[in-house]
Amino acid sequence: MNKTLHEVIARKKAVGDFLLSLYITAGYPHLKDTPQIILELDKAGVDFIELGIPFSDPLADGPVIQKASQIALNNGFRISHTFEILKEVRQQSSIPILLMSYLNPIYHYGIETFLNQAHIWGANGLIIPDLPLEERGLFTPFLDKYALDLIYLLPPNAPDERLHAIDDASTSFVYVVAYAGVTGRENSDPIHILPFLQTLKKSLTHPFLVGFGIHSHQDIAFYSRYADGVIIGSAFIKYLEKVTEKNIPKKTREFVHALTSPPA
Amino acid sequence: MIPNHAGYYGQFGGSFVPEVLRPALMELNDAFQAFKKNRTYQAKYLTDLQDYAGRPTPLYFAENLTHHYGGGRIYLKREDLCHTGAHKINNTLGQILLAQYMGKKRIIAETGAGQHGVATATVAVRAGLECCIYMGVEDMKRQQPNVDRMTMLGAEVRPVSAGTGTLKDATNEALRDWIATSKTTHYIMGSVVGPHPFPLIVRHFQKVIGEEVLRQIKRKENRAPDILIACVGGGSNALGLFYPMLPMLQIEMIGVEAGGCGLDTGKHAASLTQGDLGIFHGMKSYFLQDYDGQIKVAHSLSAGLDYPGVGPEHSFLHHTKRVTYVTVTDEEALKAAFLLCKTEGIIPALESAHALAILEKIAPHTDEKTLIVVNLSGRGDKDMLVYSHHYHKKDHHE
Repeated sequence: MNKTLHEVIARKKAVGDFLLSLYITAGYPHLKDTPQIILELDKAGVDFIELGIPFSDPLADGPVIQKASQIALNNGFRISHTFEILKEVRQQSSIPILLMSYLNPIYHYGIETFLNQAHIWGANGLIIPDLPLEERGLFTPFLDKYALDLIYLLPPNAPDERLHAIDDASTSFVYVVAYAGVTGRENSDPIHILPFLQTLKKSLTHPFLVGFGIHSHQDIAFYSRYADGVIIGSAFIKYLEKVTEKNIPKKTREFVHALTSPPA
Repeated sequence: MIPNHAGYYGQFGGSFVPEVLRPALMELNDAFQAFKKNRTYQAKYLTDLQDYAGRPTPLYFAENLTHHYGGGRIYLKREDLCHTGAHKINNTLGQILLAQYMGKKRIIAETGAGQHGVATATVAVRAGLECCIYMGVEDMKRQQPNVDRMTMLGAEVRPVSAGTGTLKDATNEALRDWIATSKTTHYIMGSVVGPHPFPLIVRHFQKVIGEEVLRQIKRKENRAPDILIACVGGGSNALGLFYPMLPMLQIEMIGVEAGGCGLDTGKHAASLTQGDLGIFHGMKSYFLQDYDGQIKVAHSLSAGLDYPGVGPEHSFLHHTKRVTYVTVTDEEALKAAFLLCKTEGIIPALESAHALAILEKIAPHTDEKTLIVVNLSGRGDKDMLVYSHHYHKKDHHE
């Protein structure tokens, strides 16, 4: 369990405010951009960060994050850069950072070694989209030791008993997937998951954030009525595509501002 | 029991998929167990194998090839004579029935050489189900005739340009499709790879190869074979041949991986002999990967072997040393294909040519009583572009 992450969630919940989390692919758009982007997101009021570790074959991701991962790898991204990013950010900010990685890079690095490094350089938790609940034993022995939370994904097709199993295994919040599909789908109609969100509000003992396909202020307004917060990924990655290198700080702030303030 | 309830073959296998796919895999596993006990469906499967696929396929004594090497007696298991030209149809005939049993309306599959794609399109059109095949753009170029066949059979072939545009990327894309569509769609996995229960299901539908060999060779030679040889990409034809004979420990089994341009060049598809333990495409197995666990590009002249991973049961058989895994280069495979053509009048698939190529190193060192069975997993029609290119090149130099 990670204290910083829990405090941020508790503080927001106490005042009835929703949590905003943004995803950024490490090493994208340029290898050295990431610390600055994270710091700007922090200043703009984002509550916590998902730092995506690029993988050659991101099979739960749609075209936007696939492309970003490939660009980052082509930029020369190495797993060790993850820890350099953390080190740089931690000199100025304590914003919670969750490392999002497919299983193989961590497995190849050595699970405990990776978690130890993540802890040393100040990560707060992990999201591993291809780690099933049944295999969490690969990680759970080390989570307390290294003060990390492991976040589980809960899709809308999960049967009741699964929903409870995931809730039970969770330690900070549940990452609810808005639809059955890969990340960044266009025009998802959130109305369809209303019954699911209502069930979650009743059944889950942990706070939950909704992610996948969320991209506008309007989406946030909808989800914040049921969920404790939202996670935005592909929309931000896609937005950064068109931003020139020197404008990244300014444009990052503008992106968050547009999400959090009602459209004029 | 191999695999155990969680889909593990020793330490290999498992079911490493996003939570969203779990209901589909549970449904598939339950349906498969019930399907195996359903007499109507079983009878239909057996009839289809016989009357539609053309089983049993012959076990052919390759007399000229035997004389060429001057060693043990070489038998070829003629999977190349199956309808659609390879062993792949054994699996797709079974899985389409399974899809119907589950009431699925749509079929998806990945394909490398196009053989699995063709075999899938074939059974889907016959069953009246919508069919979508994911294929890497590189593979589409080198296996154009199979793209045409799938299209003619009414399947939509979706080109995959991501990554290297080969089998690995086609598999990623098929899995992404399935993540969104599993409620109505069955994914016909083409090899003994992927998350549990796929490796088990594909093995089940391919084991007919080994079962037939055992019966046929008893009739011809009045005993079991001594050596089994098959090529290994994902590993379905090899496991189909080996599996029924695994408990017969006196039988030596050899799996041949694609050595591509040579192991020292790094351009190969030898996941077992050169890869590292990893977790990818839903399974814990051996994969070609770099220092950071990024999946590497495989290389083989043969599109069907061009995959940077291998089925978990092969990893287990490698680990326990029950099966010996070796590699054969592109050049050696080509040479073996031309040799079979010259000696026996059979043009093999490039994949199967890898299995044939290892005979040069084995057959001459065996005595004439040794019984060797090579799985001739597919025919070479689809590879004519590669063969004719090679033929003309050779012609030019001579």
